[in-house]
Amino acid sequence: MIAKTRFLLAETGQNIWRNLALTLASVLVAAVSLALFGASQLVASAVENATQRWEGGIEFVVFMKADAEQSQLDAIEVLLEGSPEVDEWNFVTKEETFQEFTEFFADDAQLLDTISVETMPPSFRIRPTDPDAGAVEALGSTFEAKPGVRTVVFATEVIREIQNNAEKISLVTLGTGALLIVASAIVILTTLSIAISSRRNEIEIMKLVGASNWFIRIPFMIEGMIQGIVGALLALPLLALARTYVIEDFSKSDNLRLLEGFQVSDGEFLFISLIVIAIGTAVATVGSIVAVSRYLDV
Amino acid sequence: MIRLENVSKEYSADSPALIDANAEIEKGEFVFLVGASGSGKSTFIRLLNREEKPTTGKVYVAGKDIVGLSSWKVPFLRRNIGCIFQDYRLLPKRTVAENVAFALEVIGRPRHVIEQQVPAILDLVGLSEKSHRLPDELSGGEQQRVSIARAFVNRPLILLADEPTGNLDPDTAVGIMRLLDRINRTGTTVVMATHDRGIVDTMRRRVIELSDGKIIRDQSGGQYR
Repeated sequence: MIAKTRFLLAETGQNIWRNLALTLASVLVAAVSLALFGASQLVASAVENATQRWEGGIEFVVFMKADAEQSQLDAIEVLLEGSPEVDEWNFVTKEETFQEFTEFFADDAQLLDTISVETMPPSFRIRPTDPDAGAVEALGSTFEAKPGVRTVVFATEVIREIQNNAEKISLVTLGTGALLIVASAIVILTTLSIAISSRRNEIEIMKLVGASNWFIRIPFMIEGMIQGIVGALLALPLLALARTYVIEDFSKSDNLRLLEGFQVSDGEFLFISLIVIAIGTAVATVGSIVAVSRYLDV
Repeated sequence: MIRLENVSKEYSADSPALIDANAEIEKGEFVFLVGASGSGKSTFIRLLNREEKPTTGKVYVAGKDIVGLSSWKVPFLRRNIGCIFQDYRLLPKRTVAENVAFALEVIGRPRHVIEQQVPAILDLVGLSEKSHRLPDELSGGEQQRVSIARAFVNRPLILLADEPTGNLDPDTAVGIMRLLDRINRTGTTVVMATHDRGIVDTMRRRVIELSDGKIIRDQSGGQYR
């Protein structure tokens, strides 16, 4: 068993070394395609995080003071219930807000230390019957002066536009990434077919002296898997760069205050990284299996 | 050891390579296959290690029907069959010893076995002094000895030889035949396809003659004719 393993690993190492340029190309294509795919997921997560409260046609949010009394909350509720201009609304409690907040800033312990359920503002998320900007503004401002209300925040045209554009960016990167992932599978397949054909004399002799089919296949399969997995591992630092320099900078920009919350939590980043590794491995596995079954006629 | 029953092999419908061949070869026999190019000698040999399957008929090796053998078992059949060829088929970037060791490495033999068996077999074929040379530093006869060492290092039951002296001058060929005769005397069945009249006539072993895919003569102690 040890002898076998050592031999198989040595064979794999030799394959890669002899085929170094092509292997590098294959790894890089895998890395770039996976990074693009991952980036599309990062953007999608960030957009979702930033625009979560604006989903479902919600046009403005009435934030209450953290210490607003129950009677003040009830008064707003009565107003909303009675208004024909309000299509739908829902109430977000202090606890729910706190929950969202902690999920969101899970990686910022310092910030989390300074907050508690008590300091969270409860809020009403409101969907008006008429989504026209003027009508929304007029309706929203009627709440601004009510007792207990801290502020009213509107979903402006800018937010809508950003949401749409970000979706487009995310779709384009996703599409490009997916195409490149297919390309990456084909490159891995081709690299292996060249590796196989450059070793056909050895393979012929292996068959002749009775090497088992798996013994012949395994070095090529490991080679293909390494290309996919190394590609995925190289994609991760690229993703981390994308997260730091593009997404986080957006959310810090003073001119883009509306993008507050346009960021990706550590949990989401980890999840996307795992998906990238899984896809890299899967693509390499498929490429390897197709290559050995097509080009290795054992 | 080897039995062919009504074996036919067609690569294309109009020109069969082997027609209704019947033969039985006992353990320890030495058999020459003779006949013109294209008479079916190579096909006969390729059927024995399952490089080819017959179109019809049965092939038995060591008592087992190898036609119906599932493909994952074929390697285990081949571990019992050594093969040598006119063109040696050595790996040019590996030394003599590495070429021989390769045959053991790829069937998963442990290193201590390899370290012990490779020098022993190189001694048997007379190449101990040249174990660290590369194939292209050797003469044709020496290269064929390396290929015999590789074929025999695993002590197979059967040795198949397809024109092993085809590229060698007569004196060198005699040396190779002495080696094959020695291997045959250890009890290994040898089946050798050849064009070399001198060798067949000198050795006087069983001769199976093929013509246009048919066995037209099967004679013990035969001549080339």
